[in-house]
Amino acid sequence: MSSRPPETPVATALGATPTGSRRVIPLRWPAVVAVAVVGVVGLFAFIWPFVVPAEVAIAHGNDAPWFFAVLIALLAVVCLAEVSAGRLDAKTVAVLGVAAAAGGAMRLLSAGTAGLEPMFFVVIVAGRVLGPGVGFVSGALAVTTGALLTGGVGPWLPFQMVCAGGIGLGAGLLPVAAGSRAERWVVAAYALVTGLVFGLFMNLWFWPFLGANAPTGMGFVPGAPVSENLAHYALFYLATSLGWDLPRGVLNAVLVVVAGPALLRVFRRAARRAAFDAPVAFEPPSEQVRR
Amino acid sequence: MPLRPRLLHPAAWWLWGLGLATAASRTTNPVVLLLVIGVCIVVVTERRDPATTNPLWGFLAIGAIIIAFRVVMTMLLGNGVHGETVLFTLPRVPLPEWASGIRLGGPVTLESLLYAVYDSLRLAAVLACLGAANALASPRRLLRYLPATLYDVGTAVVVGLTFAPQLVTDARAVRAARTLRGHEGTGARETARLAVPVLETAFERSLGLAASMESRGYGRTVHASTRDRRLASGLALVGLLGVLGGLYGLLDASAGGALGLPLLAVGAALAAASLVVGASRERRSGHRRDRWQWPETVTALAGAVPAVVLVAGSVRGWDGIIVTPAPGLPALPLPVVAAVLLAAVPAWLTPRPREEDR
Repeated sequence: MSSRPPETPVATALGATPTGSRRVIPLRWPAVVAVAVVGVVGLFAFIWPFVVPAEVAIAHGNDAPWFFAVLIALLAVVCLAEVSAGRLDAKTVAVLGVAAAAGGAMRLLSAGTAGLEPMFFVVIVAGRVLGPGVGFVSGALAVTTGALLTGGVGPWLPFQMVCAGGIGLGAGLLPVAAGSRAERWVVAAYALVTGLVFGLFMNLWFWPFLGANAPTGMGFVPGAPVSENLAHYALFYLATSLGWDLPRGVLNAVLVVVAGPALLRVFRRAARRAAFDAPVAFEPPSEQVRR
Repeated sequence: MPLRPRLLHPAAWWLWGLGLATAASRTTNPVVLLLVIGVCIVVVTERRDPATTNPLWGFLAIGAIIIAFRVVMTMLLGNGVHGETVLFTLPRVPLPEWASGIRLGGPVTLESLLYAVYDSLRLAAVLACLGAANALASPRRLLRYLPATLYDVGTAVVVGLTFAPQLVTDARAVRAARTLRGHEGTGARETARLAVPVLETAFERSLGLAASMESRGYGRTVHASTRDRRLASGLALVGLLGVLGGLYGLLDASAGGALGLPLLAVGAALAAASLVVGASRERRSGHRRDRWQWPETVTALAGAVPAVVLVAGSVRGWDGIIVTPAPGLPALPLPVVAAVLLAAVPAWLTPRPREEDR
């Protein structure tokens, strides 16, 4: 039949889209704005000790972390709703569920070794294959699932959600061609860097709590110049957290190098089998069938 | 009259826990904080959700580690508190020039140690309240009360929660099979080899589930018209921008600091409203639906009272709310103690969880 359209649903389902990219949740502009605003507020929730005026810091040094935990929780949920608004079909839910389950299972397995969490590895791969939208949602959901499984819903959860969501989002935006030789190394470098940056940011949410009580020269001094607080934080990070973050970053990077290509294939295959964005077209029955 | 055994509404327990946590976060009085922790332990012992493996102990352990860590760090490195009472003196280690801000060793004063203990005890008490909430009502029971806008995301979390233990089982099975074939070893390479078959199985199972859900008309219970969705998006964006503007106002006093807080509150309220208006759920019957009756109200109030009393006390500057570290017991304001003890009431005035759920 020469009149047959070139693109049939079957062809699309087998992955023959001309572009080859498979954005399971396309980011519309409201979602992009929401993610951007949450990113800015989230960043502020972490770095406020360095930027707020002295009198605010002295008056609210002890409430601010709680305040931001509540605010960030609300914003993260609103952001999830915007990104996913009405466009999750059963198969997307299934793929997100597996990403969340993998994150949660990693948390279960690594319960004994705090910090050595290979969870980001899964989040990064999911974001890489399924696009920034799914990357954000699966990062946030993986952390939530892990927290629900281990009964660890605490004030740290909103901050972790934003961080892990950002990691998944960034993995989807990495400027490297899917399936290329360079992909493995770029993603591995990304895993290493995010492993370190995650710790760098996650310490910040509780660092102001230490206040005057931190070791001399490592604590948050309200009203001190930015450079002094930054130097104090750098010392604090080196002394306490780097020992956990470096092994985590290295572990995730090594996992990406060793298993990355295979896992990318697994996720790409699942995405193809779920036949995302296969257009449903009803055609009038052809001549042959009628006869 | 004994109450019929049932599980309390999870939201009631979480309101109780968050109220008590708010109360604990306002004080450094060690007696009050220990009372808060004690109340948490009593209530959890009496009314624990039988489905959980008591996460309270984990939270208490984290709290204990925080206190111990702070005390050790204070002994070694000192803190910003200067005291008169020197307990003992550690040998001082000379440090190079660039680390001149840091002190290693030296005299250890009682005041600095007490400050470290009081301050970290506050964090430990807040964590105990959250741990108690986790133990009293498993947070996954709260998933049922997600707004309809988040229905799909909630389903993904439920799928994740269901599959995660299976993934662990699968990983064990694959590992056992590999051991039988003589592949031994640990490390990254082995983990990577495990990941592929385990995830393949998970996707297989999950996509099968999705196909069956789709063929049975899953997801038809949530209604979202385009108009509703646009309204929700608009509300969310305006709300988020309001939050952003409010934060900026709080930060920069010259740009209208007085406007900051109201703008922030309105923004947050609008953003929250966007969750409600975005979609509506079809009314349907539920299995073992949680009910909100008077024990739930009592529980929520028992958490709210200490929060209100302690916030009021810290705003008015009562004696014994923020304690200066000094030898001897600090002043103990009676209303605060009464309010914290009131929080233990749900241990008796609520229905017991059913035995057969255990």
